[in-house]
Amino acid sequence: MGKLDDVLELIKNGARSPKEIAERLNLTVEEVEGIIKILESLGYVEKVKMGSSCSSCPLKKICPGSCVVFKGSIYELKKDDHRST
Amino acid sequence: MSSCCSVEKVPEEKKEGLKVVALAGNPNVGKTTIFNALTGLRQHVGNWPGVTVEKKEGIMKYRDKEFLVVDLPGTYSLTANSVDELIARNFILNGNADVIVNVVDASCLMRNLFLTMEIFEMGVKNIVIALNKIDIARKRGVHIDIKKMEKVLGVPVVPTNAKEGEGLEELKRTIASMAEGRITTNPVTPVYEELIEREIEHISSLLRGTPLEEMYNIRWLAIKLLTRDQEVIKLVLDYLGSGKMDEILKHISELEVYYKRSLDIVIANQKYEFIDQLMHQFVTHFGEAKETFSDQIDKFLTHPVYGLLGLLGVFYVLFKFVFTIGAPLQELLDSAFIALGEFVAPFISNEALRGLIVDGIIGGVGSVLSFFPLVFLLFVAMSILEDSGYMARAAVVMEGIMRKFGLPGKSFIPMVLAFGCNVPAIMATRTLDDERDRILTMLINPLVPCSARMVVITFLAGAFFSDHKALVAVGIYAISLFLALLSALILGKFVVKGEESPFIIELPEYSSPSLKVALVHSWERSKEFLRKAGTVILFGSVAIWYLSNYPEPIGNGLSYAEKLGKVFEPFTVLMGLDWKAAVSLIFGIIAKENVVATYGIIYGIGENEEALISLMQNAMTPLQAFVLALVTTLYIPCIATIGAIRAEGGNKWAFVASIYNLLLASVVGIVVYNVGLLLGL
Repeated sequence: MGKLDDVLELIKNGARSPKEIAERLNLTVEEVEGIIKILESLGYVEKVKMGSSCSSCPLKKICPGSCVVFKGSIYELKKDDHRST
Repeated sequence: MSSCCSVEKVPEEKKEGLKVVALAGNPNVGKTTIFNALTGLRQHVGNWPGVTVEKKEGIMKYRDKEFLVVDLPGTYSLTANSVDELIARNFILNGNADVIVNVVDASCLMRNLFLTMEIFEMGVKNIVIALNKIDIARKRGVHIDIKKMEKVLGVPVVPTNAKEGEGLEELKRTIASMAEGRITTNPVTPVYEELIEREIEHISSLLRGTPLEEMYNIRWLAIKLLTRDQEVIKLVLDYLGSGKMDEILKHISELEVYYKRSLDIVIANQKYEFIDQLMHQFVTHFGEAKETFSDQIDKFLTHPVYGLLGLLGVFYVLFKFVFTIGAPLQELLDSAFIALGEFVAPFISNEALRGLIVDGIIGGVGSVLSFFPLVFLLFVAMSILEDSGYMARAAVVMEGIMRKFGLPGKSFIPMVLAFGCNVPAIMATRTLDDERDRILTMLINPLVPCSARMVVITFLAGAFFSDHKALVAVGIYAISLFLALLSALILGKFVVKGEESPFIIELPEYSSPSLKVALVHSWERSKEFLRKAGTVILFGSVAIWYLSNYPEPIGNGLSYAEKLGKVFEPFTVLMGLDWKAAVSLIFGIIAKENVVATYGIIYGIGENEEALISLMQNAMTPLQAFVLALVTTLYIPCIATIGAIRAEGGNKWAFVASIYNLLLASVVGIVVYNVGLLLGL
């Protein structure tokens, strides 16, 4: 098991923020965020595209955006990970 | 040639004898800043062939020579999982560049060197590292020994601070020297565990002697095969044939069984560890890592208990702000509508037409429009909270609570959106891949009070609880959210079952909100409220006016509105609400603001809010007003929201949402009213 595995395992087990993972693995938050980016590029986690909901909304033309904006980033564990054995 | 290498080579006529310099690196490392600094205004922006990914090229001048600089898409690795990665990978792989500048963020070295190692593994020799953001690394207590780094990595390293223009001349000089072949490099490549190395060697031996050996680095192809890179598998299959490829895949499967997971993560882990060991040779940390301002505040704001108290406090202050500044403006607007009605009335001799225009249109629409200042201020406050980064923290607190109630944590995004409007919030449930998560979120979403229901809540709270209106408003919001969570627990257990999908949230840094940006955003959002007043609410007001005045004016029990209200009164009376409330709630299904407008029209005082409040205070107790506000917040969603649920989930779930909300509102209304009576309220 390496650090990438450890981070992936903690996400699977319900860790919700890089800070929480950093504390549990004794790493810096920056390093955990970096690992998440690597996991994303490997296809293990996927960034949730929040903007897509508005752009695909049928009310887009008449709605100037009365919804509230979330400024953070969310990464979702890919469920259909065919590589898991 | 296979799609592995499908990105076109830089056309010779375009190169015009120019040496090509490619910039590669992670996103947000300052690659574009370096590109701009190297090329100045001599740039051309287009698309990479066959894809809509932006391609930037420019001319760099150094002394008397010109170089064509190509800005490759920012990537974290060179797998084949995205178009950006494929473009960058194939450009490097095809030998298009005479020099590759790998821009590396010194403040996040581990992550950046992961990509560097991927480039090194391709067998690239002509590479220089631009170690950018060196100033930030120093501030974070990271010291990088450049000479040692060059020695360990085997390539030139130029420290830069692109924003300030530092190190760029040295970078240009190094690029020019490398392009002229005056710099020799020896890039280090990761060494893996024996089992992996043995298999790399085995695959390499199969590839040797094939035409692939002349085109690509054999070791890189072997590593990519081990990670089951589909592009490389396709490429190699053409040259090796299915027999040998099956043998390779069989070996890979055996290794995967041994490691109990796929080899891409095994190799990535070992590469990461390799980089870690390399870094120990040239990176030292001095001083204790200091907690940032964000970290210190987040300890409180994202805490499960203090964070929730903080959230309630912030929303209390938000409503105080909205009421304190908005109420006088609302009165002013209300007076303006009264004056408009009085001004228009004498010009219309026909009594029915006068009633329609003054009481129906000006009265109905005006009573809702007078809330514009409150809605606008609510959006201003929300925009400031969003801009500052607080809303993301609030979402984390909510997510933690929601998870305890069995709600898919990720559904807090639609829940947050719903404070503005439930329709885009329902649409946002598309971000949830899991069907169970999506349906459950859709069902409870209408229980989050939107800005339309805020109009009703603020009107009734202001009219009946003048001393504690902010507290009452926050209370209704809190009850609604609690019921949304409770509903998630019930519906998740009995109606929509399934597993939750894991995810992780990255919080943005705190930042100073810009008032100008907040005002612009709020105006954009508030325009929807005005548009609605001119369409749905106008239509509703005319309909309510007609039903209230025909066949006989309201008062003697013959109007359609009274008859309609009386049908439902035996039920609404259980929660202390008369036929007028029943009619208001029916018209509130068209648009929730109509609940206020209906009362104005029924009482025949239209836009005169002061008179309306006085009449309502005589007809209702504060307890009944509280119940009405609560029931309005909880009962059947507005037509647009039902339509959105139908579009996203189908007829079944639109029906379930409507019935569930109606039942919930009824039970809550009856319980709150009767408990209130027992308590002597």
